Amino acid sequence: MSEIEIAIATAAGYKAIGAGLAVGLAGIGAGIGEMAIGAAAVGAVAENKDMFGLALLFTVLPETIVIFGLVVALLLLFT
Amino acid sequence: MSQNSSGPAPYIYTCTRLRVRKSKLLTPAEYYRMLNMGLSEITRFIGETEYQKEVEELATSFKGVDLIEIALSWNLAKEYQRIIDMTHGPLKQFTKTYLERWDIYNVLTILRGKTQGFSEGKIKEVLIPAGSLNRTMLDRLLTEESVERIVESLKGWHLYSVLQADIATALSSGSFSEMENDLYKTFYADLLQSDKKGITGALQFVKFIKLEIDTLNIKTIFRMQADAVSKASKDLFIPGASLTLDELEQISGLSNTDEIIDALSAKIRNEPLLEALDGLREKKTLNEINIDLTKAQLDQMERLSRIHPFSIHPVLVYLVKKKYEVANLRAIARGKESQLPGDVIERYLVI
Repeated sequence: MSEIEIAIATAAGYKAIGAGLAVGLAGIGAGIGEMAIGAAAVGAVAENKDMFGLALLFTVLPETIVIFGLVVALLLLFT
Repeated sequence: MSQNSSGPAPYIYTCTRLRVRKSKLLTPAEYYRMLNMGLSEITRFIGETEYQKEVEELATSFKGVDLIEIALSWNLAKEYQRIIDMTHGPLKQFTKTYLERWDIYNVLTILRGKTQGFSEGKIKEVLIPAGSLNRTMLDRLLTEESVERIVESLKGWHLYSVLQADIATALSSGSFSEMENDLYKTFYADLLQSDKKGITGALQFVKFIKLEIDTLNIKTIFRMQADAVSKASKDLFIPGASLTLDELEQISGLSNTDEIIDALSAKIRNEPLLEALDGLREKKTLNEINIDLTKAQLDQMERLSRIHPFSIHPVLVYLVKKKYEVANLRAIARGKESQLPGDVIERYLVI
């Protein structure tokens, strides 16, 4: 294997690691954020069932960050 | 001691639930509406709120003001028990310890009721089994024939030693006020020890208790002034908060209201209480002073619960606010029964 081929393979490897980190770290961050929101949402819904829709919406808000992570991962892998 | 090892989620869950519950408490507008209603309308109104279940359960056995009063007591006890069940870890511990104040109320009510010859049923109506002495234990105490037997039955209670030490004096003098003072002093001293037990969040709990003690001591000073108690006594104050017993004794010895307020303002740090003290410079009745100080205390409690949103503060604020809601409703019901005009009853409400 020539040096150029090794460099290309290494770059592809780094890209894959970067993509994995982008999605993985975004997921961990969202999880930490959702822990607090989820606990509060369950508490609020336990007291008032009408809050279910709003509570669900707030709970999944941090998921948008994971979408950003996913977009970054896709950009890394396919551009 | 159990520690909170599962992160902040249990705190967030419980504090949010109690915030929602607090938002369901009666609003000032609802109190003002009630002041313009008759007793039966008030009963119907209360029956449509959080007290519905109790009012419906008791409607067949009681009527009028008795129905309201007993429904309120039942609801308060049930609500406090529900909150104990709802909380976890250190929050549960603090809530249970704080609610043990109702043990003192219940024991004293039974002792006073028995010495004054009230029937078991009558005494039972006003008991609030929210502390460590449950309904079964209180029922057992009610069946005891003499005061001595009641005290004996309380042998395992953590304040038994105080009870035992004071009972002879109380029975000979016919007054339980000294015993009441001692019980509350020991109770608060125990609460203040919480931060030495290494429980997470105990610092905030102690902060809350110190605020309560400060307010109580200030109320005592004004009460002493209103009753013209010439001899200042350290025994009447609860130690351990912002003011030492010596300072309290010195301040209570002052005769002029402005001097008392100046001396207190130099020692007190929290803003709502300082503002309330400043407002007391104009001539007010003892009841108005009490209400103003209670409002300032609630204000400061609210502030603390906003500064520390996921701590014991939101739980305790709800417990205290619920207690005052019940007291307000009781005042309105009793006032209406005694044909008092709305504006007179309003003066006794903590809104």
